[in-house]
Amino acid sequence: MLQLTHIWLIAVKDLKIFVRDRAAVFFFIVFPFIFIIMFNFLLSGIGGEDERLELHLVTREPAGGLSHQIIGAMTKAEESQLAPGQPKMVRDKDYAEARRAVEAEEMPGFIAFPADFTEKLSTGSGTRLEVVANAGNTNYRAALSGVAGAIAAEVGADRVIVEASIALMVRGGVIPPDEASINQAVRSIMDRLMAGGAGGEESAFIDFATQKVGEVEAENPANFVIPGYLVMFVFFAAAVAAEAIVRERQNRTLERLLATSVRRESILGGVFTGTVIRGLVQIVIFWTLGILAFRVDLGLAPAAVFILSFLMVIMSAAFSVMLATLARTQRSAGSLAVITALVLAPLGGCWWPSFLYPQWLQDIAKITPHAWANDGFNKVMVFGADFSAAVPDMLALAVFAAIFGFIAVWRFRTSAV
Amino acid sequence: MAEEFLVVKDLHKSFNEHKAVNGVSFAIEKGEIFGLLGPNGAGKTTTIRMLSTVLEPDSGEVVIGGHSIRQEPEAVRSIIGVCPQELALYEDLSALDNMVFFGRMAGLNGQEARAQAMQHLELMGLVERARGRVSRFSGGMKRRINLAIALMGTPRLLFLDEPTVGIDPQSRNNIYETIRGLRDRGMTILYTTHYMEEADRLCRRVAIMDAGQIITLDTPRQLKSQIGSPDQVTLEDVFLKLTGRSLRD
Repeated sequence: MLQLTHIWLIAVKDLKIFVRDRAAVFFFIVFPFIFIIMFNFLLSGIGGEDERLELHLVTREPAGGLSHQIIGAMTKAEESQLAPGQPKMVRDKDYAEARRAVEAEEMPGFIAFPADFTEKLSTGSGTRLEVVANAGNTNYRAALSGVAGAIAAEVGADRVIVEASIALMVRGGVIPPDEASINQAVRSIMDRLMAGGAGGEESAFIDFATQKVGEVEAENPANFVIPGYLVMFVFFAAAVAAEAIVRERQNRTLERLLATSVRRESILGGVFTGTVIRGLVQIVIFWTLGILAFRVDLGLAPAAVFILSFLMVIMSAAFSVMLATLARTQRSAGSLAVITALVLAPLGGCWWPSFLYPQWLQDIAKITPHAWANDGFNKVMVFGADFSAAVPDMLALAVFAAIFGFIAVWRFRTSAV
Repeated sequence: MAEEFLVVKDLHKSFNEHKAVNGVSFAIEKGEIFGLLGPNGAGKTTTIRMLSTVLEPDSGEVVIGGHSIRQEPEAVRSIIGVCPQELALYEDLSALDNMVFFGRMAGLNGQEARAQAMQHLELMGLVERARGRVSRFSGGMKRRINLAIALMGTPRLLFLDEPTVGIDPQSRNNIYETIRGLRDRGMTILYTTHYMEEADRLCRRVAIMDAGQIITLDTPRQLKSQIGSPDQVTLEDVFLKLTGRSLRD
């Protein structure tokens, strides 16, 4: 009981010192929110809107050609009729003007039908669609190529249908086997295939099927900015506290405590508890302001968010004591605290979402507790996962805390000599 | 014969190859101010750290108030107070907060700690600054707080490790008066210093340490009489005679 009292008194003493240090309070409580406001603003575009792709189509054929029917079938009058994620097809009237626009980088690219498109198709000699795209815009070029490929495949399939139909009609005596009758029958079949497309309704000729996975909603950047900076500053504050522990060791304050009836374990427990309480105060302020001022969404599993936060605090406090045991001087403790906090934070996805990193960097980041914490927060708060999805991240944080804590207990010294 | 409150027998401590304390033995009588003198690095602080149970001796035996520091360290801690050479206090807290905190650590309840803190602050002439932040105190005031903290819990044996280093005469005299007052109330005091005149003024007996060993132990007058008239020579002369070098090397 006496030892618990000692632990509590040491923790309270550390909190008093923290509260009276206005610079520390500003740096670890107020300062993070300056970052949060700034990055909230900077990252507000991520996932915030459905940027609809516009694909431009142009034909060099005279009016009445088959390409006009295809373009008519593909373009729609109203953008509001398009499903989320479905590209908008735009008809451009003049090939030369479209080409100039691409060269001037006013337009990323377009698909052009050749002037002899219908004639070549009719004679079966084959034709070629032209994809004109800005060389630097590979994504757009790929999209245009995909659409051009789809047109070619569809027209090819229709051609098989037309040829088979004509052969059957001739063989069955439905039409005479002369060129004029066959051409007229071809046009008739093609018209029927294309029917309905030019009217702005869904085309039977080329169809886009978009799987709708949830609604496209603006992502609140606070959902990943606040957890990121919480992780960074909880860890940073704890790491910097190591400097104070080393200072106490060097000026023999810890030793003075030992000369009273305080045990080494109580000093260790008090220092750890003080750091944990300070971290808890930080997360309470972070989440309270986050929910009230930044409207963060804790997702389907708020409990997971709070457990992750708590484990982050425990892990950071264990790291703090470990760092204090490993550093010989106050200066080295301070330097190590700043270096570790500033290297691990961006690597672990505190400054920007780690899911934007390339996979290899995400894999490397897993050596940091920050990455696990952020991964857990992102799963729950950004991707809407349930509690179980964050369990591996919780376990990882617990393992980090256990490792740091073990080293801290093993190596903790109360005196400099 | 007076009761021996602290008995040290053949105490040894080494750090790697360096023998910091090498076979130290002495005894302090109850209510005595005993001086441990010597230059920096003589082994005074290491000796005090072992006596105050924070550093384990390599060998030797120490009994304080009838309790062995090896077998009954908790009992020893309950009757000692330590004033380290360093300012072992929290500069971001007030003087009162510091004293109450260490009082609670020494086993006092909140009320007792507060009452004792005010009593000791008055003794040190710092009552008006009780709620002042220690970081804003002068060096002398910090030294007085450092000593006042050691008095929390009313210890029976006080270890004072160079308590007057680097302070103004006013604070030094205040500390001298406080120490004499404590002795008059029956407290036993082990006082280390490298200021010879300080030991001469305060201590009934002094041991001069050098290179981890006690090279002589007696009353200041007896030590001085070994080399001349006690009124004409100083303890520093004694040390120079015994070791062949200056105390403030």
